[in-house]
Amino acid sequence: MNRAPDRLLLVAGLAISGLGVLLLLDRTGVIDLHFGYALPAILACVGAILLAAGLEGPRR
Amino acid sequence: MSDNISAVERPPLRRDTEHGLVAGVCAGLANLLAIDPIILRVAFGAASLVGGAGIALYIVAWALVPEEGERGTLMARFAGRRETWFAVSGIVMLLLAVLLLFREWGIWFSDAIVWPVLMAGAGAALIWRQSAGAAGTEDPAAPERSRPDRPLDPFRALRLPTPALGPVAVGAMLVVGGGLVFLWLNEALAPARDVILAVVVVIVALGLMLAPWWLRLVRGLSAERAERIRSQERSDVAAHLHDSVLQTLALVQKRADDPRAVASLARRQERELRAWLEGGRPDPGDSLARSLEAAAAEVEEAHGVPVDVVAVGDAPMDERAAALVAAAREAMVNAAKFAGGAPVQLYAEVGEERAEVFVRDRGPGFDVSAVPADRRGVRESIVGRMDRHGGRAVVHSAPGAGTEVELVMER
Repeated sequence: MNRAPDRLLLVAGLAISGLGVLLLLDRTGVIDLHFGYALPAILACVGAILLAAGLEGPRR
Repeated sequence: MSDNISAVERPPLRRDTEHGLVAGVCAGLANLLAIDPIILRVAFGAASLVGGAGIALYIVAWALVPEEGERGTLMARFAGRRETWFAVSGIVMLLLAVLLLFREWGIWFSDAIVWPVLMAGAGAALIWRQSAGAAGTEDPAAPERSRPDRPLDPFRALRLPTPALGPVAVGAMLVVGGGLVFLWLNEALAPARDVILAVVVVIVALGLMLAPWWLRLVRGLSAERAERIRSQERSDVAAHLHDSVLQTLALVQKRADDPRAVASLARRQERELRAWLEGGRPDPGDSLARSLEAAAAEVEEAHGVPVDVVAVGDAPMDERAAALVAAAREAMVNAAKFAGGAPVQLYAEVGEERAEVFVRDRGPGFDVSAVPADRRGVRESIVGRMDRHGGRAVVHSAPGAGTEVELVMER
């Protein structure tokens, strides 16, 4: 039952986790996540997921 | 009974691009409603003046209504390449994220430079991508256009396949839009505003006036091209039927007193016809010399006349080589039928630039100019076939002097 990891789910999980960590750090006051940084972070997160979905090919 | 009358079948809603001005939405709707499309065009035009509602409606209909003869809608066709769109959107978003980050850090030229340059760059990339892809695409009409008896088209290399036109148009709009945004943001458009407005008005007016002629010209050209391709296909089918079925029927009549020979001929013809119907195209893996030898063996077997083959050089089979073999076969069949049993000789020379085949017999010969117009053997199956595939055929014969058929095909 050796199943290869689903690359799309892996990338999506990592991207959303990264975004969550940023928001957490902002909430705890470690970093100041204002709009100028939040927008690129969200774009990068969605972009990475879309790119992974595109490279994955059609899902069977 | 009244139910039957009321249930008259209406055609499904389809975009009629053949009679349409833009995407055939109005023409398709007019077909469905059985009214003049000009009424719908005026209605859409009027609706466009109300906050662009007509334009929005038209675009929605364009995306949702399938084109005549197409299985899916425009939206479905885009959805079919969903992965590409995902990847492209992902790359654009990542690039945008990096740029916004640089902007935040102050590693930045100016909004008036970066965004227009980015827009124009995306458009240029789209155009380059489509142009590069078009260079390697095969056009089905290419062999027909590359005939040496037709003048070379200097703009052929510039032509793009139809599916590439949409992305190229979007790319061109992005490049022009990028340039205009750059000029606008740098306040370079203000002095030229009046001139640009006048030019735009004149272009729009000229476009409106010349559009009907342009559309008629485009439709006429595409209809003429389609008719030419159809005519060529018809001639090929007629030539093939003549060479195979008609020749076999003639042999069947000749050997009517031998049932086994007739059955054998019928079986061979059936096999050949089935193979042609299923495949229809030459096997590219075979070689020209071997195909000529096979054709000679077939003629020898069918007509009982010895055929000597001498082939110098060889080449892989393609559509032109298949036409050359078919023409040579027809010349051998003619020689076997009319040379009074004299041996037939085939000499083939295949070089880098051209392939030449000579079919000779020592028969009674004939007057080439006296061949009746309804005989297709020489005219269609040999001369016409070679001509259609960019080659040439010459028949040298005179009463009492034998016959030589010269076939030349440029490679």
